[in-house]
Amino acid sequence: MTTDGVPTWEEVARDHGRFLYNVAYRLTGNDDDARDLVQESLLRVRRGLETYQPGSLEGWLARIVTNVFLDEVRRKRRRPEQALPENPDRVLPAAAGADEMAAAAGLSDEIQVALASLPEEFRVPVVLRDVADRTYEDIAGSLGVPVGTVRSRLHRGRRMLRIALVESGALE
Amino acid sequence: MSAERIDPPEELLSAYLDGEATPDERARVEAQLATSEEWRDVLEELRSTRALLLASPVREAPTGFWDSLLHPDIAPPLPTEPVRSIESAPSRRRSRAIAWIAGAAAAAAIAVVVLVPGQSRVKPAVATLVSRHAVRSSVTEDPVSQLAPVSKPVQLGR
Repeated sequence: MTTDGVPTWEEVARDHGRFLYNVAYRLTGNDDDARDLVQESLLRVRRGLETYQPGSLEGWLARIVTNVFLDEVRRKRRRPEQALPENPDRVLPAAAGADEMAAAAGLSDEIQVALASLPEEFRVPVVLRDVADRTYEDIAGSLGVPVGTVRSRLHRGRRMLRIALVESGALE
Repeated sequence: MSAERIDPPEELLSAYLDGEATPDERARVEAQLATSEEWRDVLEELRSTRALLLASPVREAPTGFWDSLLHPDIAPPLPTEPVRSIESAPSRRRSRAIAWIAGAAAAAAIAVVVLVPGQSRVKPAVATLVSRHAVRSSVTEDPVSQLAPVSKPVQLGR
């Protein structure tokens, strides 16, 4: 810890890495992308610590990992072969590795597969709320949208997640 | 019942469940719940779905992941430029292979220097060489791969 109360990069990784990795995994749906997402997020953390104001560190980390994830989503959108469908309600293909994860035993994997099946605009609010435990205001700040939009997307995301879990047999 | 009554939007249920509804919204939701079995069912579905997520175990990083980031001898230096895409798992595997080859080549080069004293009296510490070289020139998180320029002149196998 530095004298001004700002943690070092190593302390952030050591003390909050588990949180960061879990959120990254729930966002990306697989370990390969989660590792890359965490590494890139920590690079931004290291740069950002110079201007970081002590506060909710996990809120700050959640915002960073979300931004890195969404940057990647936007980058994918610019690639013609991976353009989003015109209908935003259409479920996107699951992230790489999701099918393999579905074969693994345990409800956790089924949850992850269901999460990965959500379009990211619904998946991100659900992960930030129900995995990262962020407030609606935090989520709105992370996504740059009004709180009302967070409410709507979170609700729809949960409803879609429910349907996906029922269809997978994880829920009745 | 008043004909002017407007049912609250269903999305208020999530806000209600999360404690993010205003007092007025909460009252509207509770009034609706009192009269609508459908709303009660939806609330229960939301609650159980959220409970599943909350109860799901924390995903741990693969073994060795944090060591590779935090070990001082191999911790990646901070890139000054944007790094590669997070999507490039195959390229990561390629870069690992390149790093291994570059590392092996560098080790061979150092071995030549150390084992043939007649040609040179310089005996650099490998760790120091890796560290100093990586710090000076690295633009990625992998310091070993940055040894490639050192290894090039060796031309192993020729």
